[in-house]
Amino acid sequence: MERFGRRALHAAVAGVAATLLITGCSGQALEGGNDSDSASGEQITLKVNFFGDMGEKMLKERFEKANPNIKITLNSAEYNAHHEDLQKKLVAGSGAPDVVAIDEGFMVQFKNQADKFVNLLDQGLGSAESRYLPWKWKASMSSDGKQIGIGTDVGGLAMCYRTDLFKEAGLPTERDQVSALWPTWDAFIETGKKYTSATKKKFIDSGTNLFNPVLGQQPVGFYNEQEQLQMEGGPKVAFDVSMKAIDAGLSANLVSFQPNWNQGFTGNKFAVLACPAWMLGHIQQTAPSTKGKWDIAAIPGGGGNWGGSWWTVPAQTKHAEAAAKFVDFATQPEQQIEVFKTVGNLPSQPALYKDQAVLDFKHEFMSGAPTGQIFAKTAESLQPQYLGKKNGKTREAVEAVITQVQQGKVKTTEAWPKAVEAANKVANS
Amino acid sequence: MSLTQVRPSPPAPPRHSASAGKAKLWWHRFDTRTVPYFLIAPFFVLFGIFGLFPLIYNAVVSLRHWRLDDPDKTGWAGTENFARLFSDEDFWNALFNTFGIFILSTVPQLLLALIIANLLNHKLRANTFWRVAVLLPYVTPVAASTLLFAMFFQTDSGMANWFLSLVGFGEETPLNWRAEKWSSWIAIATMVNWKWIGYNALLYLSAMQAIPRDVYEAAAVDGAGPQRQLWQITVPMIQPVVIFTVVLSTIGGLQLFNEPMLFDENPALASGGSDHQWQTIAQLIYRVGWRDGNLGYAAAMSWALFLIILVVAGINALLTRRLGGGR
Repeated sequence: MERFGRRALHAAVAGVAATLLITGCSGQALEGGNDSDSASGEQITLKVNFFGDMGEKMLKERFEKANPNIKITLNSAEYNAHHEDLQKKLVAGSGAPDVVAIDEGFMVQFKNQADKFVNLLDQGLGSAESRYLPWKWKASMSSDGKQIGIGTDVGGLAMCYRTDLFKEAGLPTERDQVSALWPTWDAFIETGKKYTSATKKKFIDSGTNLFNPVLGQQPVGFYNEQEQLQMEGGPKVAFDVSMKAIDAGLSANLVSFQPNWNQGFTGNKFAVLACPAWMLGHIQQTAPSTKGKWDIAAIPGGGGNWGGSWWTVPAQTKHAEAAAKFVDFATQPEQQIEVFKTVGNLPSQPALYKDQAVLDFKHEFMSGAPTGQIFAKTAESLQPQYLGKKNGKTREAVEAVITQVQQGKVKTTEAWPKAVEAANKVANS
Repeated sequence: MSLTQVRPSPPAPPRHSASAGKAKLWWHRFDTRTVPYFLIAPFFVLFGIFGLFPLIYNAVVSLRHWRLDDPDKTGWAGTENFARLFSDEDFWNALFNTFGIFILSTVPQLLLALIIANLLNHKLRANTFWRVAVLLPYVTPVAASTLLFAMFFQTDSGMANWFLSLVGFGEETPLNWRAEKWSSWIAIATMVNWKWIGYNALLYLSAMQAIPRDVYEAAAVDGAGPQRQLWQITVPMIQPVVIFTVVLSTIGGLQLFNEPMLFDENPALASGGSDHQWQTIAQLIYRVGWRDGNLGYAAAMSWALFLIILVVAGINALLTRRLGGGR
């Protein structure tokens, strides 16, 4: 007994000593970063997280020039991972960036946690309201009137198509004539059949990229405003269109935003792509060699929205003032016009739709298409859809079922019940 | 009676050196009894912080509801999380996948390693070259090799399908490796095998070299061919190493994460295929915990996985002992 006690004591002493040694080594490093806010002249670094292409390089350059004491570090991630990472860090209470972009698909989820974000009205950004489409301003506002984000772009919807491939297939190549080919989605699928039988190539990239735009055109999406799943409404319509297209053999079965899909652009694997304004930036980036081969026609069915984002400031930031300054700067009309011209993202400020610089703009990459006029028209008539808290995950689950169909695992006729089941599972989780 | 003290009692040491001797004695005792604890303490301290503490903390979390996406749902859960495991299709599917891939990877891996080690154990030209060469896959970072394999198994432009087309398979409709369970399992098992065969082969080789030559000579004299020598002499004599590799690859195989993760076309989803064809338990734990934000349930899964690994590794070790000559 005595011996055991002594031994244990020795071991314990040794353990404590070793722990002290280890912690002693790292203690100092931890005390390093001593930030204090906005003392003028002091160097501040703002971490800005985003996804996709938001004109971030231009914003960084201009903002740093205007504010020499603030440095911007940019950090981009995959769409789903980006939003999930933010959610984790908000709950953990640390680690979130100073400024972060949030897409409409996740906005409801985050605005329900408005206390985790800086209320931008407190930072004097309330005056921006008059510049915005009313629904865009409202969409990022919490139920108790806190404004967590200032809008960047809206998606709007159009159909991008490859003039060279259309010519090969004997289809018209001129914008208005192409738009006239497909007043409805059925007509669109018929056009696709003509294309595939003429060229033996696939027409669309993936069934999921029909599902999303068609769903965006429906009055109600996955969820109604009571957060109830509404699969038999809009989602059913959109799902049926994508199944029809897959049945007709139009789909190249690529997974969007992944390497194979990117290769598909340059490999002529598909001839059309539903494109919200922000998609233009993606096409330019992934397939610079297709410059001048794309043009933009109207979307079948007309109208609709897909995507669009906000800049927000998580409440854990130590530089709320500087972060709000960046948000304000990034959403000024001059910057929004520049983003529109370089990337393609359509501003959500209606005054800009009448701005001469936007109206006159011809998108060189897209065969000189007047993207300002095309997208401004769709954005003004836009009826925004309510996107529920679990919209992002639900879409992912239904997209997975579409992928199963494209892989030949599930028949198109049997896919719908599976999609409903998958969506229900997410809704009830 | 006769035990008289013959030896002269040692001269009483001078007073000052008496205390020095005591100090020396104390130092000696300290040095032999306490210092070793100091020397091994860092390991146990680190193990406590990064091994034991997470394990216990994880057990506590598994008995709670802890939601990252909805802080209101946090609270004591009791065994609810564990009960839910039994009726969770995703969990059983992941368990099935994990075992499927585990068998497809472990069995060929260890057999091939044994055969390669046996070959390397013969006199070969450029001996060192071969030994280094088999270890190269082990040195390659998993992320890099898996990304290459993901391209290798692509449907339209992958080399795997090109090889298949050479022998006349799938020229019309190339095989979509990610579509079905069997094909995706084979693809992932291939990655695992490629990486670990060389490593295990070297372990076997080092054990084989400790076997005395005369045993083989005696066997050869008795007429045992190379096959018989391998299975009846080599394998029983390297049995401890075989058990070691079996246990290690059991643990590795059941915790498989990197390969299935990066095999996905969109790795960020952690879904293991459109219908979770190849989602392993480790992947499911990641998805439930970090994507769905359900930490309590993910912790319960981790503990379940821990127990499963303990049981399976134990069974495997026992089986190997039986098969390898039975003691």
